[in-house]
Amino acid sequence: MIVKMAKVEILGLKDVALDAIDVIHELGTLHIEDLTERIGKMESKRVTRMEIDPRFGEHESTLNNLRAKVGDMIRELGPNVEELSSQDIQREYRAVWSDDIETMISRINKSIQQIEKDTREPVEKKSDLMVELSRLEKYAPIMGKVQPLAERVARMEDMASIALIIERKYKAILNYLNEEISKITDGQCEIVASDVDDESTAALIVFNRRYLKQVHDFLAVQDVNQVRLPSDLARKPIDEAVAEVRARIAKIPSELDDIERKLSKVTGKYSVQLIASRNAIHDRLEAMEAVPKFGQTDQVFIISGWLPESEVEPMEKALGDKFGSKIILTVVDVREEQDEEDTPVALKNNTFSRYFEIIYMLQKYPRYGTVDPTLMFAIFFPIFFGLMVGDVGYGLIIMVGGYIVHKKYANKPFPSMIGFIMTVGGAWAILFGVLYFEFFGDWPLRWMNRLVTVNGSDEVKYYIGSNKTIVRYPLDRLEGFTLFFAITIVIGLIHIGIGLVMGIINGAREHNRKHVMEKGGLLMVLLGFVIAIARFGLGWWPKPLVAVGILMAVAGVVISGIGGGMGGVIESLVGIGNIFSYARLIAIGLASVIMANVANSLSRQVAGGGWIGIIVGVLVFVFFHGLNLVIGVFSPSIHALRLHLVESFGKFFEPANYRYEPFKKTGGEE
Amino acid sequence: MASAVKIGLIAISAALAIGLSALATGLAQSRIGAAMAGAIAERPELVGISIILVAIPETMVILGLVIAFMITTLKSAK
Repeated sequence: MIVKMAKVEILGLKDVALDAIDVIHELGTLHIEDLTERIGKMESKRVTRMEIDPRFGEHESTLNNLRAKVGDMIRELGPNVEELSSQDIQREYRAVWSDDIETMISRINKSIQQIEKDTREPVEKKSDLMVELSRLEKYAPIMGKVQPLAERVARMEDMASIALIIERKYKAILNYLNEEISKITDGQCEIVASDVDDESTAALIVFNRRYLKQVHDFLAVQDVNQVRLPSDLARKPIDEAVAEVRARIAKIPSELDDIERKLSKVTGKYSVQLIASRNAIHDRLEAMEAVPKFGQTDQVFIISGWLPESEVEPMEKALGDKFGSKIILTVVDVREEQDEEDTPVALKNNTFSRYFEIIYMLQKYPRYGTVDPTLMFAIFFPIFFGLMVGDVGYGLIIMVGGYIVHKKYANKPFPSMIGFIMTVGGAWAILFGVLYFEFFGDWPLRWMNRLVTVNGSDEVKYYIGSNKTIVRYPLDRLEGFTLFFAITIVIGLIHIGIGLVMGIINGAREHNRKHVMEKGGLLMVLLGFVIAIARFGLGWWPKPLVAVGILMAVAGVVISGIGGGMGGVIESLVGIGNIFSYARLIAIGLASVIMANVANSLSRQVAGGGWIGIIVGVLVFVFFHGLNLVIGVFSPSIHALRLHLVESFGKFFEPANYRYEPFKKTGGEE
Repeated sequence: MASAVKIGLIAISAALAIGLSALATGLAQSRIGAAMAGAIAERPELVGISIILVAIPETMVILGLVIAFMITTLKSAK
């Protein structure tokens, strides 16, 4: 349900403007309207955008710096926010917050200095060690490659060597270097190369020591990377250096762990302080950033915005109590202002439907004044999901899995919503599984000996009715395909029909006669079409009704055309195609049940060969059913979503421009 | 013999119904998928809606499956 909103304008004397903003921020119910555009269009230049006091301007930059600093510290220390108690954060927030900005800044500065003092040393050491580790890890493979050669060179006293690291794609440059250095050294040179990894190649140039300077000079001009060891290692023999590098690489992680342990103790001590400071800075800056959205004249300030109707009175009272007649709050009639399109939308649904508001993560909220389809989605989505999955075994796994996710992530909206929806969807899958008589495919039919082989293919022995009757049990999906196809068409008609009724209601609310005619006409087309084709499936369907159906459909196309023009005519014809799209409800399920039955047949065939056969059979069973279950969760979810977003919502849904986002303090819970 | 030919033709028809519509769906999905991958790179919030858009051409293969299934039922209606 869309919450009824009121648009208010608050006018007051400028000397209380900042205090009034504070009260509104504290109440946290007003969605602010940015008046910049309206002020720009005004002919009179008496009303201007409210400007922030220059004194506060300075504070704004200080607070921005503090925000960056606190953010850096949070990133460096990485406190586990989920483990922190929200009461502790709120208490600390109240301790940090002050109406006087200077006091607040000084408090935050003081705590930052203390935290810096306690964490500087371990943080710096950690960063040094990480730099050292990454440097040594770069050297180790290169040194490993050049070590055997370098050792040989070391034994030849009159020879010198230089190690190079070259990108593999420029490996050809080594030939050029060989030619040039040969010229410099009078042929007394050799280059040996070996690939270090996918990107680099290590090379060792061995040449007569006499030419050391010339070769160094030449290489400096050529802009190639010479491997220069850290100064403490450079003087050592290469085998010692290699051993030392390896020892350091092995030791640094444990040193890092020690520092991490020390840091986590300090982090635990200060994390509440850091988070509360971050939130307080955020709130303070948000209040400052809101100021230019307001208007002012020489004497008064103007704040405009929306809030739920039920919140108007508390705001009036709070402002009246604090400022008396210095401030006036006026409720503006949204309809008179023709402002419905810009009205921010807030939803208020019952506990069950609220989880299904997840759909608004994929699209915008419904526009203010239209029908909220959350309840419709909450009813149909799990049914469609269950209809497609339709297996007691799969349903049980989905339901239990969903419930565990829902409970485990109760504080995280997205996984909690997904978990809840899967729980409900899983329950419907169990229900349809009972109707289809499926438990991991066709096992129940086999256990109960309800399958008979006729002409080489399995046929179901029904408990009630037969495959020629509509009423039958079990409702086998393979044999009852045609019946199910007809049922999905009817479901499509109902689902799209509800969407069209919502479209008619939206049109009526907006007093848009043409919109009502367009949607009404389309509804007539769909009803007429189904009435006309019903005779193909139901032999007893009266013949005159076919003519009635055709007439209804034609009349519907005409009415739709009058209401929506050519678009309406096209829409009414496309609408019939939309109904057939609901065939996916049976098609997806059919693919799933066939795969489940294949898994069962395969595992049965394999399981015939003794113990090993049984083990392989179980593995085959688990693998194929596991795969089918993953597909069986993903695919029905996507298709059930699509049936809503494309087929049904497409008939009535009008997106909102804005969500209701009140101007409010985090209160320590950003 | 005639019956075997009839069953074979039915099977080929069903295979064509599902196979051709699957190819068409694959072609459409490849284009939508590529376009959406580009869009997501610029606007990651489009991930959800892109999954729906990629699923749109699946109607073809689903209707193909329905038709294929209907064709195979001709075997029992002979």
